[in-house]
Order: sequence, then structure tokens, then C-alpha cells
Amino acid sequence: MHAVIINGSPRVSKHSNTERIIDSFAEGLALSGASYERYAISDKDNWDSAREAYIKNTEIIIALPLYVECVPGILLEFLETLPVKDETTRISFILQGGFAEAKQLECGKAFLDKLPGYLGVSYGGTLIKGDNFGIRVLKESEVQKIITPYRNMGKAFVDEDGFKPETVKKFAGPEIFSLPIRLMLQLMFMTLARKNYRDIAKGWGCKVPIDYRPWSA
Amino acid sequence: MVLLIDTTEEKKGKDIAFLLGKYGNRTVILDIPKEGNRLVDSFEMKYSEDVVEYVDTEHMNISHCFGCNFCWLKTPGKCVINDDYEPLLKRISRADQVWLVSDTRFGFVSYKTKNIMDRLMPIVTMNLHYVGDQMRHIARYDHNPDWGLIYTGEGDKDNLSLWCERVAVNFSTKSLGVFEFDKCGEAIGCMQ
Repeated sequence: MHAVIINGSPRVSKHSNTERIIDSFAEGLALSGASYERYAISDKDNWDSAREAYIKNTEIIIALPLYVECVPGILLEFLETLPVKDETTRISFILQGGFAEAKQLECGKAFLDKLPGYLGVSYGGTLIKGDNFGIRVLKESEVQKIITPYRNMGKAFVDEDGFKPETVKKFAGPEIFSLPIRLMLQLMFMTLARKNYRDIAKGWGCKVPIDYRPWSA
Repeated sequence: MVLLIDTTEEKKGKDIAFLLGKYGNRTVILDIPKEGNRLVDSFEMKYSEDVVEYVDTEHMNISHCFGCNFCWLKTPGKCVINDDYEPLLKRISRADQVWLVSDTRFGFVSYKTKNIMDRLMPIVTMNLHYVGDQMRHIARYDHNPDWGLIYTGEGDKDNLSLWCERVAVNFSTKSLGVFEFDKCGEAIGCMQ
């Protein structure tokens, strides 16, 4: 298998959570004997080469973050530039998000399930996983805990010939959390998480509270 | 205040705005001249409650979101992209209803509409809480507009409705529904 992997995130690759996920996923592809080439659309200067790779190859994987419940606007714009191909090309997706529950990704996945039909190509499934916001801000040891499981998904993609529903479901985790866990998380959101966000903001040079209102609504 | 944001190629939203004017609403067409950027100052009109405002985005310079998270963690509530979006965001956050008038691609809204929605992040904060059984960002402001969508072309109405409902929950408000342009009489009836 030779896969074209396109990072559909608008964030520059250096700070892209999706890029780190692709790093790990691509390692898994290689462990199962696949080769790959990578592109990122955050820089529009790369669009021609990414499109060319899409046209010339038949195994396409687009990795993307969930933005406002669906595909980022920049990826929609890029998709509009792709020609219609036939079903000898297969497209698959890795959809990642910040919120932890798998249910948060359902709307984005519903769109991606139908997208191959509009592009005229066949569909290899969509891997979904939340709780990835920390990749950019956590210590590297913690980041590794988040991204390492994607290596197994890279292996599985080759070994199982695409993202199979049962593998996707297991990897995605719970649709929603149980009430005791939600209560525990709510308490954490009101205490530790707020402190952590304040600390990150301070480290980024923020001069005002993170719930600051620049104008009255 | 009702805000109509029109990203369609054929400016379909303008038909709705004129119709609303005929029904006796005070309708303000915020035309954006081709020169674009420098228009933002005149765009800062006096806010009025009993008005329908129509914005044609054709000549507005509105970038996609870069995903920098600065609007949450470095300059809270402010997007650092220097384009025509901030005046529009202010009007969105003050509106009672926002109606997106959008063309569709791949059954979904066009990238122009999605870019406008992706740039809404400054009106929520980084802080989280639970709403029902799912985590959400806490709204930055007490007032948030309800959302509706009027679309042209072959939209996937089920997906668009799901999207609109989830967007509304995420922004602590409610969905006004999703309507095909040719059957949007009911939507116009909701605009008040």
C-alpha cells in the first residue's frame, strides 16, 4: 500500500495536533509495510502538490480536526478544487477533536461518510477520536500517551484494509461518559482545568482573564 | 435584531431582505463596496433592536480560522486575524437571530459560510462545563443569537439540521431550523 496523507488542519504544521497524530499513524503504516507521502493544506502554496498527489494516487487519507461540528472551512475550500475521480481511488479520514466524547464527532463523521460519494471515489471509513486538545500544550511524555495509540491504528489500517467499524468504535471510546464521571469532570472543569488554562494563558503572554469581554453584547 | 448573512453567489439573501422590507420591517442593507477593507468603520452602525440587517459578504475580506487558539488563551475574546471579520462578529453577538444564507457544496454549506462559523470561537471561552450529557465551552457573553440556515442547491437537509442544532447547543442558544431557499416562507415568518 502507498498512501497519500493530507493534513486538513488550518493550523501551521509546527503547532498542529493533527500533524502529531499523523506522525504516529504513519509510523504504524510503515510497521505494516506501507509507504506514504504527506501534505498539509494550512499553507495554500502546498495545494497544487497536494491536489496532484490526490489525482495520481489511489489510497488517500485525510486527517482533520473538528471545527464547529464539521470540516474546517479551509478544507472545504481545498476539497472544492479536487476533480471527480472514480471508485478505483479510495478515501479515508481521521477525524480528531478536542472534546472527549465520541458523540461530539458524530456530525462531522456523518458529513465524511457521504463525502466520497460527492468526489466519485470509494470510502475506506473514518477513524474518530476526541480529547486531543492537550497535544499542543502538554508535556511531551503526556503527548506521547495521546498520540501513541494512533500507531496501532496505522497498522490496523493496512492489516484490515481500511478503517473497519468495529475497530473505529473501540478506538473512539464512549459515546458519552457515565454520570459519575461527568460529575467528576464538572468538578475538575471548575477547579483544576481553569487553573491550567490560566497558567497556559499566562505562559502565552495573556494580560487579561480568559473570560474577559472585549465588548458588551 | 435579525441579521442575515449572505454568502451566496447569486445574493439570494437580498431577495429575503427586500421581502422583509415589504412586510413592514425596517430593513438595513449593509452593502459592502468592492474596495472592501476600509469599509469596516462605516459598518460600525448604531445598534438598533427593531431592524433586519442584511450583509452581503462578497466584497468582505474574511479569512478562514487559523486555529491559533489566541482568542481563548492569548487575547481572550479577540481574533488576531486583521481582516473584515470583527465588525461582523460584533453584530452576530448582539443579534437576536442570525440567518445564514448559503450555497451548498457536498451537501453542506459552502466554505465561505463555514469560514464565518469557524471564526465564532471568540464568543466562547476556553472554560468548559457540562450541558446535558456533553461538555461545552462556556459562552463569553450573556446574550447569544439563535441560528437558522437558508440554503440553495442540493443540501443534505438531515446533516444540515444536525449541524445547525449542534452549533446552537455549542453556542448556548437554539437552532431556528434549516430551510431550502425556494421554501423559506416559514423561515421568513420566524424572523422577528
